[in-house]
Amino acid sequence: MQKEMAYSFPDEVLKHVFSFIQSDKDRNAVSLVCKSWYEIERWCRRKVFIGNCYAVSPRMVIRRFPEVRSIELKGKPHFADFNLVPDGWGGYVLQWIAEMAGAYPWLGEIRLKRMVVTDESLELIAKSFKNFKVLVLFSCEGFSTDGLAAIAASCKNLRELDLRESEVDDLSGHWLAQFPETCTSLVSLNISCLGSDEVSFSALERLVDRCPNLRSLQLNRAVTLDKIANILRRAPQLVDFGTGNYAAELQPDVFSNLAGAFSSCKELKSLSGFWDVVPAYLPALYSICPRLTSLNLSYATIQSPDLIKLVSHCPRLQRLLFLIQVLDYVEDSGLEELASSCKDLQELRVFPSDPFGVEPNVSLTEQGLVAVSLGCPKLQSVLYFCRRMSNAALVTIAQNCPNLTRFRLCIIEPKTPDYLTLDPLDAGFGAIVEHCKDLRRLSLSGLLTDHVFEYIGTYGKKLEMLSVAFAGDSDLGLHHVLSGCESLRKLEIRDCPFGDKALLANAAKLETMRSLWMSSCAVSFGACKLLGQKMPKLNVEVIDETEPPDSRPESYPVDKLYIYKSVAGPRFDMPPFVWSMDEAVKILH
Amino acid sequence: MELQLGLALPTPNMVKGFDLNNHGLDQLKEMGGLEAWNKAAGCFADKDCVKSKRSFEQAFGNFTEECRTKPLLLWSGQPNEEEDHKDQKKATFSTTDENDAEEDDQVVGWPPIKTWRKKIFQQQQQQPRVGRAENNRVAENENGRSIYIKVKMEGVAITRKIDIKLYQSYQSLTNSLITMFAKDKKCDEDDYILTYQDKEGDWLIAGDIPWQNFVRSVQRMEIVRNWG
Repeated sequence: MQKEMAYSFPDEVLKHVFSFIQSDKDRNAVSLVCKSWYEIERWCRRKVFIGNCYAVSPRMVIRRFPEVRSIELKGKPHFADFNLVPDGWGGYVLQWIAEMAGAYPWLGEIRLKRMVVTDESLELIAKSFKNFKVLVLFSCEGFSTDGLAAIAASCKNLRELDLRESEVDDLSGHWLAQFPETCTSLVSLNISCLGSDEVSFSALERLVDRCPNLRSLQLNRAVTLDKIANILRRAPQLVDFGTGNYAAELQPDVFSNLAGAFSSCKELKSLSGFWDVVPAYLPALYSICPRLTSLNLSYATIQSPDLIKLVSHCPRLQRLLFLIQVLDYVEDSGLEELASSCKDLQELRVFPSDPFGVEPNVSLTEQGLVAVSLGCPKLQSVLYFCRRMSNAALVTIAQNCPNLTRFRLCIIEPKTPDYLTLDPLDAGFGAIVEHCKDLRRLSLSGLLTDHVFEYIGTYGKKLEMLSVAFAGDSDLGLHHVLSGCESLRKLEIRDCPFGDKALLANAAKLETMRSLWMSSCAVSFGACKLLGQKMPKLNVEVIDETEPPDSRPESYPVDKLYIYKSVAGPRFDMPPFVWSMDEAVKILH
Repeated sequence: MELQLGLALPTPNMVKGFDLNNHGLDQLKEMGGLEAWNKAAGCFADKDCVKSKRSFEQAFGNFTEECRTKPLLLWSGQPNEEEDHKDQKKATFSTTDENDAEEDDQVVGWPPIKTWRKKIFQQQQQQPRVGRAENNRVAENENGRSIYIKVKMEGVAITRKIDIKLYQSYQSLTNSLITMFAKDKKCDEDDYILTYQDKEGDWLIAGDIPWQNFVRSVQRMEIVRNWG
């Protein structure tokens, strides 16, 4: 009797209940309970996240979820950020837009990462979706300001336009003027990636003026310091602000105008930008520092005591992105000061100012990170570039920060050992994975043997993403990871002596992951072909720009290999230098 | 989180998705422990193979005995022959080597710093430029090393980048460009003209001025159809 009652809820009730379930993971679980829940759920799913645009086809998504309002797509593999994926590899969004234009007239939000977006795609978005609100192009390329003009002109209720880290062909600053006078809906605008001098500043000012809900604004480098005050006075409600250029000759009236403008922004919590900092203008920020929770100084190429002083005015800082300029003062002690004043710090990123410099010129070492780990118990996310490290330091960091969820360490010179003992850094990273039980993301560097992978396989049970470079001795290393890391979704490897054995032995594991990237390793063409033939649920793609892989012996290693699970089968847009190992695909090149 | 693809092969993660009470995990444990899933280096096609707990070495040694389907790999346990892939030549005009502008022996993509960040470093290391930020010359090093130029071809969506310093003459440049763009567009050489934008912003046909002057002057290039 009770069982029957559970299933006798009308669909509308279930629909209402499901509307409270937002997370994709939970929705996926709901859809697996029974057929009728699957049906109800799929009709009311409004938001879809597709971590690999080639894992599924637009048609399949549309067929299953007919009423989507918001979509997020990711294209190229992560290593594309570092030029390891050749131009033309793929990740085109046009076909998605074209299919969704017909199927989702009410689509309101598109978020893309590492995809190729053409002006044609942008124009199609502009004319197809009447209720379009949010466009985020994170690390995308292929479009120009013409495409942006189309978006600006047509999207009457645009709330968010975020172009962060994208490569835009900047033909003219006048696209900003295409926002109609009636557009007052902007909440977030990020144009920090635009290169041109000709951002139409007057158009920008007018736009900011008429958008009372604007909360987040990131300007580009072309906007000069003297213009900041104008903008801020028109938008005192800003929460998140990215300056442009922060350099000018020191003039008292400019300074006081700027300081006044900043202090009028009572909600301002997050700052970025700061290209070309002139230290004398930093005190203009002091009034807002006590409220700041996020500070991105990673473009600020002038490092000085003034900058550290700025940070020490920010006791509530949770997120700090720092560019460490190696000059004549000690950066480690700067981090020590930070550690003593920013007790709430959760995320720290330290970038090298001179990554290709041959001489160490070391003022930033492992000590800085150790100090922060000691002083900031809430530390969760670390990205740290340095030139030396020790196992002892890593162990200390691991013990101080058991709550780490993301740990990315880049020791600049590949295969650098523990500088004190000259041992590999296996034990240090082992301590990280052992103590940080919630670690989801890890990037390795330094001298590492197969042992580090044994630790990772044993302890990294929550690890979802692992990046490996110049590490390991044999296939055993890869085997430890593939067989041990239960939660592994993304694995990217370069320049490691991993070959066929571990990969073939753990082929089934690959079906449970989003993707695997291996470049400059030792996986043979024959093994790739075998994987492609035997694993129909995987797309196995070999990338080689010099010559076709089958023009060499099968035992020859492939240059780059990208394997990902897919229900869409091999893709149709592969360039000539990408070969699918799927048996069904005839090699036409 | 991801769209579930409904994979047939059960895994620990999949089972968790099925049952919110972790009942699935208990089932797995009965089957011989999570270790069985983790350590089984077994047949990817046959689920029954993976029940037994095996070490890495055992998996390869007993591959043919325990798997009903044909194994992908028979490993006799011989030591690896060192694969020599040092002969692999990288194309000189590889479109990936955009930003190793400082030194010729740079490892591609290392250290792992995003392209736009590298540009900032490079710009900082040069004379400070007041105002105009040049984004046509993608990266330039005044010591006479690589100069990267964007090259567009009419009808091709993707813009390429080349290091103009690698070429000694117009002929070598056009030869490379033909090879590069032939991948995108089947075309007859005679149908196209190479044009370039000089420092003054004017678009000119490449080939009129001495090569060295060209290298110093070119900001970007475009390959256009020859209508003449």
